[in-house]
Amino acid sequence: MVKSPQKPDVDEDLVRKLAKLLEETGLSEIEYGKDGWHMRVAKASAAPVSVAMAPMPADDETVAEDGTQGLSENTEIITSPMVGVAYNTPEPGAPPFVKVGDHVTARQTLFLIEAMKVFNPIEAPRDGTVVRIMVSNGTPVEYDEPLLVIE
Amino acid sequence: MFEKVLIANRGEIALRIHRACREMGIGTVAVHSTADADAMHVRLADESVCIGPPPAQKSYMNIPAILTAAAISNADAIHPGYGFLSENADFATMVEEHGFTFIGPTPEHIRIMGNKVAAKKAARDAGIPVVSGSDGPVVSTKMALEVAEEISYPVIIKASAGGGGRGMKVAHSPEDLRQGLKAARNEALAVFGNGEVYIERFLSHPRHIEVQILADLYGTVVHLGERDCSLQRRHQKLLEEAPSPALNDKERDKIGAIARNAMISMGYRSVGTLEFLYQDDAFYFIEMNTRLQVEHPVTEMICGLDLVREMVRVAAGAPLGFSQKDIRFSGHAIECRITAEHPETFIPSPGRVEDYHAPGGLGVRVDSALYSGYAVPPHYDSMIAKLIVHGATRNECLMRLRRALGEYVIGGLDTTIALHQRLVAEPAFVNGDYDIHWLERFVDSGSS
Repeated sequence: MVKSPQKPDVDEDLVRKLAKLLEETGLSEIEYGKDGWHMRVAKASAAPVSVAMAPMPADDETVAEDGTQGLSENTEIITSPMVGVAYNTPEPGAPPFVKVGDHVTARQTLFLIEAMKVFNPIEAPRDGTVVRIMVSNGTPVEYDEPLLVIE
Repeated sequence: MFEKVLIANRGEIALRIHRACREMGIGTVAVHSTADADAMHVRLADESVCIGPPPAQKSYMNIPAILTAAAISNADAIHPGYGFLSENADFATMVEEHGFTFIGPTPEHIRIMGNKVAAKKAARDAGIPVVSGSDGPVVSTKMALEVAEEISYPVIIKASAGGGGRGMKVAHSPEDLRQGLKAARNEALAVFGNGEVYIERFLSHPRHIEVQILADLYGTVVHLGERDCSLQRRHQKLLEEAPSPALNDKERDKIGAIARNAMISMGYRSVGTLEFLYQDDAFYFIEMNTRLQVEHPVTEMICGLDLVREMVRVAAGAPLGFSQKDIRFSGHAIECRITAEHPETFIPSPGRVEDYHAPGGLGVRVDSALYSGYAVPPHYDSMIAKLIVHGATRNECLMRLRRALGEYVIGGLDTTIALHQRLVAEPAFVNGDYDIHWLERFVDSGSS
């Protein structure tokens, strides 16, 4: 006979308390746990939070790891040669330089990195196809931060 | 008060600046090269930005990268630490032009004191005794020979754009001088980009004694006593102590007052150190450093002040809040600079720190960014730790230093801890009886 683990009784008062806290504080989710169990209460309609701040190395490492996972050989990761703000369009409102799936030729502009009001074009080192783009428009980037992958 | 300070440096001093800011509730931004991604201050700072590859020119001295990092992180102020861009007047100017506060002296004072000929003139004009010499750059061999005859041999040739002991040649005779001038000019041009040289009387057995200055934006200036930094090898300081065992209170007050009055007349702000050679009871100004110095902790230990905190407060516009009569010196402090080098051959030893155990206890302070597992990068200065001890008397300080050195474990690399242990047992050092040539002789004579 298969034994199933005892389900803990749901503490309704605790759930109500957490839900009330969500409303009062304006948070979108709260996690609470003790004695080996966790409860997570989240708002269904939580709007995505956009984060606009200087990148932390731990976060970047994770992004890089995710961003560069599952790549076949013969791919090249284009990293930022400087610290600045990355833009994927030549000017606001214009279409992006490249999209995933685009074929690019050597020396074609892929991104602009702005530092101290000077815009520096990031060029494709060779012909290829854009496989992945890691950075969105207007994001601050560090030196060596992965921008996109070309195959 | 600032909300966020960008730390434009690395290693132990970056950690030092982070600590002071954190204690003041100020957010920190650590800029770093790829080689320093795992540095302790990068891990502890609130934010970090990788600004370049390992070479300092492309990272820690990369002005556009640092200013951009400050812009994208919304920093209010930049602390330059020591070395790198800390005495670059152009950098200080650009920081301010871009709307950030430079935590340090004015660009003008950095510029004046950065040129050693101009600095000597400014010192002389401010009533500070200087070493006799050419009183300006030496423009021809003929002029050099004339000056040397006047002040008498031996003389020392120094680079105007130099400092930190680089680009100096001693001459004992006119022939020496002819050759030395050529060599000094070439070296100065290669290293500092400026071949201008000047000449000074060479002192045969001086001590290096420097006075710490702190000033706010409102004209309040204090001197925080002196440090004796005579123990040097190839012009690099190895150990510093405060107060100097060679001075009595009368001499201390006198040179302190001279330094302080000069800084008042100059309208100086932030920290600065006036360096003197002291021989036969006389002081001779050699140069001024318009920045925080490596050895600032020994002054902090005897004065009870946090100099980095004071720099930040002053830069933010706060008045010092105390004056010279409030300054009290208590006890004695010694700092040992520990480098990743073999203690006898001085061959550099970058590598991974395995076992790490720092000494502790009353009156023991370690300023270091080391941790177990940290890989010391080969691209930068070899100093990896500063061990600072304080005691009620110089003797107590020496006993404590001996004890602390004996506890310190840095496994996986060669370090100069063993050299410091030999030093602390040496009678001349114990008696405080040394000059700026003593350490070289001690080291060259090998183990006794």
